[in-house]
Amino acid sequence: MMVSPSAPGLEPSDASLAARAAAGDTSAFEALVERFQPRVYRLACRLTNENDAPDLVQETFLQVYRHLRSFRGEAQFGTWLYRIATNVCLMHRRALGRRPVESLDQFLPSFTEDGRHAAMPADLQSASTADDVFDRQLLAAKARDGIARLPELYRDAFVLRDLEDLPTSDVARILDIEPATVRQRVHRARLMLRGYLQHLVISQHGTRGGGRS
Amino acid sequence: MKELVCVSGVELLMDYFEGVLSDEMRLAIDAHVASCPKCTAFVASYRATPRILREATETTVPEELQASLKTWLRSLEP
Repeated sequence: MMVSPSAPGLEPSDASLAARAAAGDTSAFEALVERFQPRVYRLACRLTNENDAPDLVQETFLQVYRHLRSFRGEAQFGTWLYRIATNVCLMHRRALGRRPVESLDQFLPSFTEDGRHAAMPADLQSASTADDVFDRQLLAAKARDGIARLPELYRDAFVLRDLEDLPTSDVARILDIEPATVRQRVHRARLMLRGYLQHLVISQHGTRGGGRS
Repeated sequence: MKELVCVSGVELLMDYFEGVLSDEMRLAIDAHVASCPKCTAFVASYRATPRILREATETTVPEELQASLKTWLRSLEP
């Protein structure tokens, strides 16, 4: 997925809108806000929570407006904006302090002494698409809970890479870390959340999802 | 070709799907997964996890926020 979705010839590109906005064209800035507000709001919800997200969206666009002239086009506009939005969310979380949460370590996969899987993993693909197994609203609440329980470094990389679907190279730029570090953090997050989802399947339907781990 | 056990294959899954593994290692994982039902199931659930959570955390911008952004944008007009 690319951060800049505009199709040439059909609508102005992010970069051209940003250049016009930086030159004082408020209608171009409005178009950017209109275009990016769903993604910024979704990101803020995923990195923080739905209660705090609206203020963080407003703070993000305020900072974008103030710093538009410093956008030089080295990165795509969307990546630059994601970086601002991510920093706003992380600063907010830091200001609140880390509330104690129950670790997801218990959901990491387990292996026998000779390195083989200890149990048959559950079929999440089928379970998540069957309405009788996963109630949608319950799943949404549990998903938010699981993501919030990730170690923060894993959560940030996972949200940007897997939930926002940004390329690993963009996530590395946004978080100012190496791509290999992004991959390592996302991998750990996936392992924890995979086990967490499996736990939900088994909790709801015994071993129907495929078995215990 | 290297022979893998489940635990070492699992540790390489992210790099496998990102396409940063050597051909030799990628083929070793393919061979192991093809012969191991538990790894086949594990890989399927590993791949499904981001999609399930992405869909479960989709949101729409609340109308109040849209309205307050519009009010703020109007205040920027000369």
